[in-house]
Amino acid sequence: MARATAPQAFSWRQFKVMLRVIMRGEQHLDSTGMGLGDDSSERGKGFWGGLGVGVRRAAMGFLFLLLAAMFFMVGFMLGELGVSPYTAFSLCVVCLVGLTLLTGLYQAVNILYFVRDLGYYLTLPVSATTVMWAKLAHFLGMSLLGDLIILPVGLGCLLSNGAAPLAWVTMTVAFALSAIAVNLALVIICVPLMRFSRLAHDKDLFSRAFGGLIVVLALALGVGSQFALRGDGLASLASGSEQLLSGGAPAAVMGLLCPPSLLARPVVEGDALGALAALLGMFACVVVYALILSAVARRWYFEGVQALQGAGGKRGRRVEGAELARATRTRGTFAANFARDWKTMVRVPVFFNQFVLSSLLMPLYFALIMVVSVFVGFSQASEAGIEPMALLEMIRSLTALLTFDSPALAWCAVGVLVFGLFLGFSAYSFTMGVSRDGEDFFFLRGLPMDWSAYLASKFVSPFLLSTVPMLLLIVVALVLLGVPVAPSVYLVCVYLGATASLGLLSLGLGALFPRLAWDNEAQLVKGGGATLMVFAGVVVGAAVMALPALALLGGALWSVLAVPVALALALGLFVAECAALTWWVLGPCARSLSRRER
Amino acid sequence: MIRIDHVSKSYDGGASRAVSDLSLEIQSGEIFGLLGPNGAGKSTLLNMLAGVLAPTSGTIEFDGVNVASDPLAAKRNLCYVSDSPDHLLRLKGHEFLRFIADVYEVPQDVRAERIAGLAREYGMEGELDNQIQSYSHGMRQKMMIMGALLPDPAIWILDEPMTGLDPKASWLLKQSMRRHADAGKTVLFSTHVLDVAEKVVDRVGIIAHGELLFVGTVAEMREHFRSNGSLEEMFLELTSENSPFAQNAGEKDGAAVTEAK
Repeated sequence: MARATAPQAFSWRQFKVMLRVIMRGEQHLDSTGMGLGDDSSERGKGFWGGLGVGVRRAAMGFLFLLLAAMFFMVGFMLGELGVSPYTAFSLCVVCLVGLTLLTGLYQAVNILYFVRDLGYYLTLPVSATTVMWAKLAHFLGMSLLGDLIILPVGLGCLLSNGAAPLAWVTMTVAFALSAIAVNLALVIICVPLMRFSRLAHDKDLFSRAFGGLIVVLALALGVGSQFALRGDGLASLASGSEQLLSGGAPAAVMGLLCPPSLLARPVVEGDALGALAALLGMFACVVVYALILSAVARRWYFEGVQALQGAGGKRGRRVEGAELARATRTRGTFAANFARDWKTMVRVPVFFNQFVLSSLLMPLYFALIMVVSVFVGFSQASEAGIEPMALLEMIRSLTALLTFDSPALAWCAVGVLVFGLFLGFSAYSFTMGVSRDGEDFFFLRGLPMDWSAYLASKFVSPFLLSTVPMLLLIVVALVLLGVPVAPSVYLVCVYLGATASLGLLSLGLGALFPRLAWDNEAQLVKGGGATLMVFAGVVVGAAVMALPALALLGGALWSVLAVPVALALALGLFVAECAALTWWVLGPCARSLSRRER
Repeated sequence: MIRIDHVSKSYDGGASRAVSDLSLEIQSGEIFGLLGPNGAGKSTLLNMLAGVLAPTSGTIEFDGVNVASDPLAAKRNLCYVSDSPDHLLRLKGHEFLRFIADVYEVPQDVRAERIAGLAREYGMEGELDNQIQSYSHGMRQKMMIMGALLPDPAIWILDEPMTGLDPKASWLLKQSMRRHADAGKTVLFSTHVLDVAEKVVDRVGIIAHGELLFVGTVAEMREHFRSNGSLEEMFLELTSENSPFAQNAGEKDGAAVTEAK
């Protein structure tokens, strides 16, 4: 009856109860991506389990501090270049809004709507506003932690300018209010979108679309940063950010998305009274947005949740007779496992975005960098009075000299190894091969499974996705640069040896220490543990490439080996490593899986 | 035939025992129902039989093949339907069945016919091209049962198989179990639904606190209790806190089963 008289009124008591339940009992994402959110579902058992969680947290904290220190140094350098604290703060706010737009909507929808327990909440006598604010408080808490990583840019600039301690406090408060405001604005957009958009009701499609958008924009950001970080690019970026907030349509958009950003100048540059007034204004903006969100949520939040509960996927055709016989024809265990793994990876949006789309876009990223670099190089050559084609011919005439007794080939091989080491960042697609199966793994345990075939199939899909497209790119580069056939084949073999051994070691480690206790896919690939795993891939890469690299340097740098010997030794080492790792993965690692229990 | 010989399963270094020194033989051609309250150890026992869990001690054999020493050969004779049907949800129905058929090496010449037959029998013909995640709980359960029947295994183990099934599917499953046993194969299933057990099983085993309290036919159970009451009443008496079987079982392993027999 209470619900009938006051349908969606906010209840502080119920809010506290719901928040506690959501924080402790609900499956949610670590939206900071830094392991600073919740990881209650993964608490280790016993001393070693507790120690493992402790070590992971310490490592993630260290990583967070490392990034914060790096951003602080960037801010300090900006200050040294004459950039004002307000300009640096503008850069922080623009980055904050950009990052929130990039990832926030997807995260907000995930946390507010795509939660298994929501169907249960619908049955409780709790108002929509209360449920949404409880979920939102949790979302904001985690988002704020992630957003704070950008703030050190502004603080570094303050240090460089010798600002008073009070300026540090006001800037921090202003940034926090900006972060809250932009997240509230995002949810204000998200609630009606989820109520009325058909796209949003197809979770797979929505996740795929947004995930794709995020990956593409992230890659664009990566390419852009290559140029922003050259020369005075960063200072120009900061001044561009200031321009965005100084007036016109961009400022209006920023004002809508993050109203406190328009009041930032008096906070950073004004006197104490002006700063206080501006901070109060920022706070008022946040309150207004909170009220708007309350009104919007009261009207549409539960309606959106209810609409989602009834949303279903596409229906298939009737398959029978000869078509059914064709669709179910016999395959070997390897092919059966490969097909199952591939279909799951492609059909789960999170896996598709993380392992398929990003792997396929990576070569594009490199191709773009190469094209832009070549273009810049050619234009600089033209300015210097050198014909671009003449320059290309000059490079080709140099590469034509690459032979098996030239140190230059050994250096090229070292370059390939450095490139392979960089690919260690994507080695987590091998490491997570077994973990991707989650609870399904224990279903497979009940089958007469050939675990060697299972692991072999887990190697092939990421290898095809991450190594082969890059291989094509390398081959194109070798052909364009006119490298002779035999050295080209050698470099390709070194590349394959490096990536295969990296993949095998990563896969084996993932099989020995799989993470199978997850409830949603995002929990696996977006948590702090996943971030750590990305960096661990580089360490694994360094481990497998160390000996061959030493052999190459022994020939090219230290001259303790004849160059042909060094080249042959490096390749031989990779062959030996691949053979040993293949035995290890298909033998001991497969046996470990065949005995694994919950 | 299934032979379980002094099997125990403990966790936390022996601090908690899910199954304790359990011995049992189930003959070929028999339907054996495993009854017990929640947390009795039924699923743990069935998971050990399916090779998903390893016993802490004791041995399990299927037709003379030891599950621990030759798991692959043992599993080829066995199909297991777990208590949750939420597996491989991103595969379509026919993709799931093909995967199972490939893993069990079901010959090409029989698999399409069997799949079509099972789909027809369980009313899933129109659903095979949909992803399993779009199925209702009952449909997922049907798909798991179809997957278990497809290889036509010698031993069929089902954990709470009736959960979520509609009356027709439930009836069909009971028929399948009977047919399977009549063909000389072994069926072992756990259930909470005592009426189902009463109508389907050849023998029944009652488990509580990880120990087997009674093994025999329903008639023997009635004889023992000298009761005309329902299986439900006997079950409640047997598994109650005051049950002499439960007390004996706690004091002396295996004694209760012997006494019950």
